[in-house]
Amino acid sequence: MLDNQTKPKSKGRVLVAMSGGVDSSVAAALLVEQGYEVIGATMQVWDYSTCDITEGNGTCCSSIDVDDARSVADKINIPFYVLNCEAKFKASVIDPFINAYLNGQTPLPCVNCNTYLKFDHLVKKMKELDCDYLATGHYAQIVYDENNHAHIKTSTDDWKDQTYFLFTIDPQIVSKLLFPIGHLKKPQVREIAEAKGLVVAKKKDSTGICFVGNKGYDNFIKEQVSSKILSTKKGQLKRYPTGEVMAEHEGIHLYTIGQSKGLGMTYHEKLFVLKIDADTNTVWVGDEKDLYSNEVEVIEPHWLSEVTDGSEYEVKIRYQHKASKAIVEKTERGIRLKFEEPQRAVAPGQAAVLYKNQKLIGGGWITLN
Amino acid sequence: MQNHENPTPKSRVYLDHNATTPHSPALKAKWMEFIEISGNPSSIHQDSRIPKTILRETRQKISDLLSCSPLEIIFNSGASEGNSSVLKSAFNTLKETRNEFLVSQVEHPSIIKTAEYLISQGAVVHFIPVSKSGMIDMNFIRSKLSHKTALVSVMYANNETGTVFPIKEITELAHAQGALMHSDCVQLLGKAEVAFKELGVDYATFSAHKFYGLKGTGFCYVKKSTPWVPLVHGGGQERGRRGGTENVLGLAALNVVLDEIKNCGPKISEMKRLRDLMESKILSDISNVSITAKEGQRLTNTSSLVIDDVDGETLLMSLDLKFYSVSTGAACSSGNPEPSPVLLAMGLTRAEAQSSLRISLGWGTTEEQVVNFVNTLNEVVTKLREINLEEKKKENVG
Repeated sequence: MLDNQTKPKSKGRVLVAMSGGVDSSVAAALLVEQGYEVIGATMQVWDYSTCDITEGNGTCCSSIDVDDARSVADKINIPFYVLNCEAKFKASVIDPFINAYLNGQTPLPCVNCNTYLKFDHLVKKMKELDCDYLATGHYAQIVYDENNHAHIKTSTDDWKDQTYFLFTIDPQIVSKLLFPIGHLKKPQVREIAEAKGLVVAKKKDSTGICFVGNKGYDNFIKEQVSSKILSTKKGQLKRYPTGEVMAEHEGIHLYTIGQSKGLGMTYHEKLFVLKIDADTNTVWVGDEKDLYSNEVEVIEPHWLSEVTDGSEYEVKIRYQHKASKAIVEKTERGIRLKFEEPQRAVAPGQAAVLYKNQKLIGGGWITLN
Repeated sequence: MQNHENPTPKSRVYLDHNATTPHSPALKAKWMEFIEISGNPSSIHQDSRIPKTILRETRQKISDLLSCSPLEIIFNSGASEGNSSVLKSAFNTLKETRNEFLVSQVEHPSIIKTAEYLISQGAVVHFIPVSKSGMIDMNFIRSKLSHKTALVSVMYANNETGTVFPIKEITELAHAQGALMHSDCVQLLGKAEVAFKELGVDYATFSAHKFYGLKGTGFCYVKKSTPWVPLVHGGGQERGRRGGTENVLGLAALNVVLDEIKNCGPKISEMKRLRDLMESKILSDISNVSITAKEGQRLTNTSSLVIDDVDGETLLMSLDLKFYSVSTGAACSSGNPEPSPVLLAMGLTRAEAQSSLRISLGWGTTEEQVVNFVNTLNEVVTKLREINLEEKKKENVG
């Protein structure tokens, strides 16, 4: 044990959200190395008691992952706690996820998880546990401008960048956030995990939605929603623009904009889902060229920085989307985006997120009407 | 940066003695001597002599302490094993004539879960209500007891609230109907001085780690001629009642600790003095705190608090980071921090159960520790309440 004279002064106390994956594990280990006093926490968000224990591989929220997070915390010798967030997760992530599909939208549960759990519940825990900062394993960076204001910037790893999911963060707390791996690329993160002997070094990347796992979202919804409710979502597949009825379908929740496989019908040319009309349960299918649109309506915006009417921004309309240039026009409900190039498969329920020179400006929710 | 210069103790302060206890200093002193003992007590050669002696002496000391015959003691791995064995023994031997059980609602999961298993096997189980003040419903017991009752199982004292139950009276009721009586006595030794024999029970279960011994060591009292079916079949150990080579070192440790149990009266009184001091200081220093089941008879070391507007889980973490080990409920359920089923069964609301904190003192607890603890608790509760208030204001504005 170091005595008080030789012990280096802590750079501050950090609460780090540890999912049991490699990214947040390395984030915690780097903070320890940098001289912070680190406290690890895992949010238990789902009841795994009925889960198959082999299911945990490669998703970010299984009980095996809690064990992994705990063993990393032991290895780097930091206090570690499991926070029970099941009720909050269900109310603010799972239920809206299901409702979005039942209303013909394509939900984005990771944003809700960040909005209501990681950057709300954990911010409160940060204060309660006397911490100076909250850290996560997101691929994102915090930068300071000439006025010493903190901003969120994209990660150096373009492929992994997760700032798309962070647009609802309260600008007041940005200066309290640390993203210790945001300046690294994934292979480097794995190398660090390996070098530090963390059990998670070779763990599969989490892909898809953590609580859905490998079963697919349609099976997840079937498990969670009564067949009686699902049967009210049945309707027709119609050809755009003629309105010709192509087939009956088993529910609008089984379709997403841009989908061309598994439409439940055969046709001599390839057709795509263009639009889902939740009021009539109609799924409109048509040619790929009709998937493109130049204008996108965005509502319920959150801004981390001032947005200027009539200015051009880089905009992402889905997570794995290469940002495209668009002019912003402010509207009563939010903004209208006018893209330079037409955008393919703009899906209501997804977010439109704005950047300027890699700096996250904010974003909102894409809507049809 | 925030100020973390709050006065924290130099080393950790352990106030969770109902979950487990530290090893007794006398035991630690003997440890290197014990580690030399490796013979199998069942062997015929001379290497079995010392292990055999340890078993015999320890069994004798227990029977002296409980005023029973050494033959009535079965060594095992602890009270969870003991509790499962007792319930299953009564069911398996009596089910043809008596298949009903009475079990209190606030029992340890090793009783509740075994009872649920017995239900799946055809038993009828009546769960005896316990009130918020800690009173067990004697009328319920009277009304459900019948010639069909196989066994009544009520713990000596509850691990979460410290409530002590009237085992002697319940035993008399059970016996009057020809039913067997069991008591989970894990919270008895080292925490209360009781003439065990007067309880009159047919079965009692104990764990050494609850009174300064080792984990994985325990014993079961089974009154002569009472039904018993081994849970573990094996090489005839414990007169065929529990198979498996005996936990010799655990029993050697138990042997040492039992000497201290014999003379622990003054320690129990001191724990009571400190617990009462702690409670009166908490009630005078911190607003909106209540003590669960304070009215009834309680263990002298236990205090179960409801601290309004504070989340017990967060409070526990905050205290942990300030070097104090306490608990929000039973240790078995932490890691899956749901409100304590025991407190809910006693009629506390979900909010009250989630704002609960259990403090359990031990033989080594000092007045200085208790006073500093209350000061730290006050400081943490004040801070957490301020944050809650801020959040509520924000929500109202937003």
